[in-house]
Amino acid sequence: MTTDIRHAVRLARLDLKLLGRNQTALVNVVILPVLLAWMFAGLTPTGAAVAGVPAGLFVLTGMPGLMLTFAVFVNLVNGFTARREELVLKRLWGGMASPAGVLGGMALSAFVVYLLQVALLVLWITGVEDGPAPANIPLALLASLLGAAVVALLAAALSGITRTAELAQVTVLPGLVVMLLGAPLFVPVAWLPEPLRLPAELVPTTPVVEIMRTAFLGADHIGGLGERLTVGEQWVAALPSFGILLGWLVVAALLAHRLFRWDRRRG
Amino acid sequence: MRQHDGTPAIEVVELRQVYGDFEAVRGVSFSVARGELFALLGTNGAGKTTTVEVLEGYRAASKGRVRVLGLDPRRDRRTLRPRVGIMLQEGGFLDDLTVAETVAAWRGLAADTGRRVNGDVLELVGLTAKARTRVRQLSGGQRRRLELALAVLARPEVLFLDEPTTGMDPEARRDTWEVIRALRAEGTTVLLTTHYLEEAERLADHLAIMHQGVIHVRGTVADVVAEAGDRITFTLPEVEWAELPVLAGTKPTVTYGDGRGLVSYTINGSSPAARAHAALRPLLDWAAERRLTLERLEVRRGTLEDVFLNVVGEAR
Repeated sequence: MTTDIRHAVRLARLDLKLLGRNQTALVNVVILPVLLAWMFAGLTPTGAAVAGVPAGLFVLTGMPGLMLTFAVFVNLVNGFTARREELVLKRLWGGMASPAGVLGGMALSAFVVYLLQVALLVLWITGVEDGPAPANIPLALLASLLGAAVVALLAAALSGITRTAELAQVTVLPGLVVMLLGAPLFVPVAWLPEPLRLPAELVPTTPVVEIMRTAFLGADHIGGLGERLTVGEQWVAALPSFGILLGWLVVAALLAHRLFRWDRRRG
Repeated sequence: MRQHDGTPAIEVVELRQVYGDFEAVRGVSFSVARGELFALLGTNGAGKTTTVEVLEGYRAASKGRVRVLGLDPRRDRRTLRPRVGIMLQEGGFLDDLTVAETVAAWRGLAADTGRRVNGDVLELVGLTAKARTRVRQLSGGQRRRLELALAVLARPEVLFLDEPTTGMDPEARRDTWEVIRALRAEGTTVLLTTHYLEEAERLADHLAIMHQGVIHVRGTVADVVAEAGDRITFTLPEVEWAELPVLAGTKPTVTYGDGRGLVSYTINGSSPAARAHAALRPLLDWAAERRLTLERLEVRRGTLEDVFLNVVGEAR
């Protein structure tokens, strides 16, 4: 177990080193969140309020859910598939690291990139948008970690049925659309028509969006409409969302176990 | 051959491997003693790589039993992982790393398992001059050498080498053979696949010739070569071919060209050392009686190539 963690950290550092060498990718990682923040903040009408907060702030505090989709889910589907086709995964499997170490390493590097983007977003919110400082950082971190684990496993499963890195652009689309449209980025779930609320709650990134927003604003944005919560109440309010994430974690792990492939297909 | 304890380093019993309705390996058995170098020789598509990949744990055996160091390559992968070195046929490297960084990363992974690692593996495989080169800029032969360096980094007890010298120039090939010999001398068990006969002949303690999923011949290099029989050949102008003598129980084969016949005997006697000599005397007597000269008379020992071509030819 500790060997697996050491291996994962070592491989994640290697990944980040490679990312540092790829200027295009590096620029994307830094620019994307700032660009998104600027774009969405500009799109929302000034003066409008959603669930007790300015609309811009509401959207921006849910943005980590969107970033999770791109920085972790899409990136890892691409990464797993490309590395399988290049036989990197096969080679790593035959080396010293266990499967958990190899997959954990790649997921960890994606998670670090994600955290970096969230940090940039927080700087934007507090610095440029005059938003408040995050209210509950531990809660936000736990939600990020669990959310990243879920989408990383989903990415592993999806890469198993994606033949080439080019095809990955296509196979991620259904998941991408569900996570973008289903997660409450622009309006709270409570504003949705009744039949859509349950499906929206069950989208894997919805719990992340809701917990992150709640943790940032210190108010109930998990099914609620922005009622102030104490730190303890925030944790309690987040419990159902954590339940959904844990459920997804089990489903995603089973799917990954069934579908993930280390080697190219024969023939 | 050294024997550490009873269990062989590698054991394969009645292995079968099926892909869809194609049977790539059709009932293969062999075992490799500890410290031994075993060569699996065969044409492309003979099933060598499939067999090795089952032993490496990449594939589950469709049928049969495989053991490495007495352990199941898939179920006991965690225990086996640090003790086994794998050199794949084609490397999946991180192309943007330099050679030195690649080795450093692998060294780190090995060190994390508490494994004592080899010193300068780049020196060992002759890649020191390329240490600062990006992996993507290496030639095919250099990539093979890097691959070998990574496979031996953690001083494996069992080393799988899948066509280790493919794509190498003759000099690099010789250097690689030296590396493999040195590892074997240190007691590493090596399973090597190759389609270079010379490679198997020079390195192997035991070898097996595989063709279309089946092992046809198996034994020490000397045993296998002895099986080829000795060749006696000569040419004659037209004679009554039916009159040619039977030597050591074998009839000759005759091929024609330029109005002459090329006569060839393959002598398979029980005594490899004396059989050619024993067959030659009745042949010379036969020629003397008819006042014939056996032109371009040649007597030579069989080679691994003869055996190999026999196997491939028979199976066709």
